[in-house]
Amino acid sequence: MASQPLRLCGGKNIKQFKMFLVAQHIEKSYGTYKALDDVCLEVREGSIFGLLGPNGAGKTTLIRIINRISRADKGEILLENRQMTDRDVQQIGYLPEERGLYRKMKVGEQAVYLAQLKGLARRDAERRLMEWFDKFEIGGWWNRRVEELSKGMQQKIQFIVTVLHEPRLLIFDEPFSGFDPLNATLLKNEILQLKEKGATVIFSTHNMASVEELCDDIALINRSKVVLGGSVDEIRRSYSRNIYQVEIEGSPEGLQLPSWCRQIEACDGHSLKLSLGEGKRSNDLLGVLLPQCNILSFSEVLPSMNDIFIANVKKGGDDE
Amino acid sequence: MNKILLVIRREYMTRVRKPSFWILTIVVPILLGALYAIPVYIAMKPVEKSVVLVADESGMFGGLDRNDTLRADSRFVSSDNIAYRYAATFDYACRTMDSDDGVDAILYIRKRASDAIPTDACLYYRSDLPSQQVRYDVDRQLQRILRNRLLQAHGISDDEYALITNTRINLRTEDMETGREAFLEVKSGLGIVLAMLIYLVIFMFGAQVMRGVVEEKSSRIIEVIVCSVKPFQLMMGKVVGIAMVGFTQFLLWVVLTGVAVVGIQAVNSDLFGVAAQKHEITELATKGYDATLQMQQADQMAGLPQVVEGIASIDFGVVVPVFLFFFVFGYLLYATLFAAAGAMSDNDTDTQLFSLPLTIPLLITLLLMPAMINSPSGVLSQVLSLIPFTSPVAMMLRVPFGVPTWQVALSIVLIVVTIPLCTWLSAYIYRRSILRYNLLAKLHLGRKEGRKTGR
Repeated sequence: MASQPLRLCGGKNIKQFKMFLVAQHIEKSYGTYKALDDVCLEVREGSIFGLLGPNGAGKTTLIRIINRISRADKGEILLENRQMTDRDVQQIGYLPEERGLYRKMKVGEQAVYLAQLKGLARRDAERRLMEWFDKFEIGGWWNRRVEELSKGMQQKIQFIVTVLHEPRLLIFDEPFSGFDPLNATLLKNEILQLKEKGATVIFSTHNMASVEELCDDIALINRSKVVLGGSVDEIRRSYSRNIYQVEIEGSPEGLQLPSWCRQIEACDGHSLKLSLGEGKRSNDLLGVLLPQCNILSFSEVLPSMNDIFIANVKKGGDDE
Repeated sequence: MNKILLVIRREYMTRVRKPSFWILTIVVPILLGALYAIPVYIAMKPVEKSVVLVADESGMFGGLDRNDTLRADSRFVSSDNIAYRYAATFDYACRTMDSDDGVDAILYIRKRASDAIPTDACLYYRSDLPSQQVRYDVDRQLQRILRNRLLQAHGISDDEYALITNTRINLRTEDMETGREAFLEVKSGLGIVLAMLIYLVIFMFGAQVMRGVVEEKSSRIIEVIVCSVKPFQLMMGKVVGIAMVGFTQFLLWVVLTGVAVVGIQAVNSDLFGVAAQKHEITELATKGYDATLQMQQADQMAGLPQVVEGIASIDFGVVVPVFLFFFVFGYLLYATLFAAAGAMSDNDTDTQLFSLPLTIPLLITLLLMPAMINSPSGVLSQVLSLIPFTSPVAMMLRVPFGVPTWQVALSIVLIVVTIPLCTWLSAYIYRRSILRYNLLAKLHLGRKEGRKTGR
């Protein structure tokens, strides 16, 4: 099983990293509705993996299968090259999209209970919780009831409970939904810290800006299928439209541009955006520009994940 | 395994710590204690003495007896609470009531043609209605005096009368094999109490399971929980935890009610002692009540030993274990099904709909209770006490009367076999519905779509 070559649907295989979690040909149907159709994923150890897709694409279904909350009809999930078992769930920290707490229970007691369910000893759980509560400055809330807490406060507690047992794999389903900017930033930083400590993170989101900021790899699911996957950089590069941003000294007014080079945005002070024709490369442009002006900066303009997302989802829609 | 214990612990602790649990635990024994004490207190409370003026025109009831020469059995006899005073005429009585606040009522017995026996009397009052006790006593004394007059008129002696009224054939219902009496009333009483108790337990704690499931669903904590605990473990943990809450409460009720009753008795030993009751009877007798009245009292007292004897005739060696079995297994049978109903619901309105199929068998058993009491060994009783969904209630109704061992055994086997099946079905429904919302709307939509495609 381990020696079998693994293929990432629609993307390139990244060989230099150990695969932490691999989903192979996952299928899942609810009645006549196919929620997941031959879905394959590879998540590198210690990476942040973004699971993207429009609402109802099947992201949550896939996440529930990874969590062993529901079973796949076909296909399997491998964790470090062996079949995942119920025992492995202990190594997962899961923050579901639909999340809540027992409203009538006290905060500390509830957090200890949830930690114990994850296999932590009571004493251990209490000690770690105290640390986290201090870190998030909510130590005074230990004996308050959940219903007295604000939503942001509850989200902090949900996050703590998710990561408390120091899982090796963290799954966040729409973690930023409902978070205010302050908490969202806090969460982002925590996710990055967890990655630094060696945890692997899978998160599903609609927030494309956070994908560019956080994710190493992504898979885009649309209509139950993976339509795009791979590292964020490579994907953006592959969607390159041959557009460059150039900043020059002096005014770009008098520049002589060849016919294969088109200015796509009105120049703004010293910089201009140029779209190159088929077959032309950055060096060709530089060759033209160098004799004419002094270049301050030169960079390729890559399409945003947002553009790529919309393009792919629309394409999927047009197929029907 | 460890996780199921954690779930049980949480379910138990959160419920037992709730103020509502303790309120219910304390209020029920207080109510039961009050139920026991209040009637005795009311009966024993020294009430204000009522004064009734008797204006007897007929003379049949001692109205024309100026010198108190008549025997007690031919006139009104005052007691501790009610004083009877004779007034010569109705007018005089009216005037007395106007001037004297102490007079509560006037008993006016109209005279009919010469010797004819009066057929009606009237108790007149002003503003304050005479108490039930007064009206009852007046009526009893009227009938008593009338009867004694008639006995005298026909020359029947007291002994003869006692012979006539007290000689009776005692009809018993007896088991031919054991030769023991059936005591049907006592047994049906016990059967109804036990059956109702099981019915209430199943409903109360079944509903608690259901509400617990809905709470987890509506607060959206369920998905966090089921990623560390299997749905089956969560469901069973909840069912067992709530069962233990039920046992705790039940135990506390029994103990606290016992304490309350003993406490009431200790504080008011004079009111509750048997000696007090005996004393009362002898006192009444010495006050001039006639023989028949005494006998009536004695008769009432005789009912009590019969109840005691009836209770003694019940085979508690069978009743108690059977009750405990159906108490536990009846709950287990329904609890998981209630959990499944809760899993399908998003809110309390949904639960009513989804739990309806569960309440129907219990409700039917309850409605058929009179028919079953009428014939505890009839076909209906036998069938209902075998079907697992009705047997917990139906069997309890029958068991004080004695049920053939094979039927009890078969009923137990059937319910024991059904519980795993139900649990399996419930676990399946629970697992599949617990993460789905708006199931009711989806069911509705599905039917509509089905109709559309059907056309």
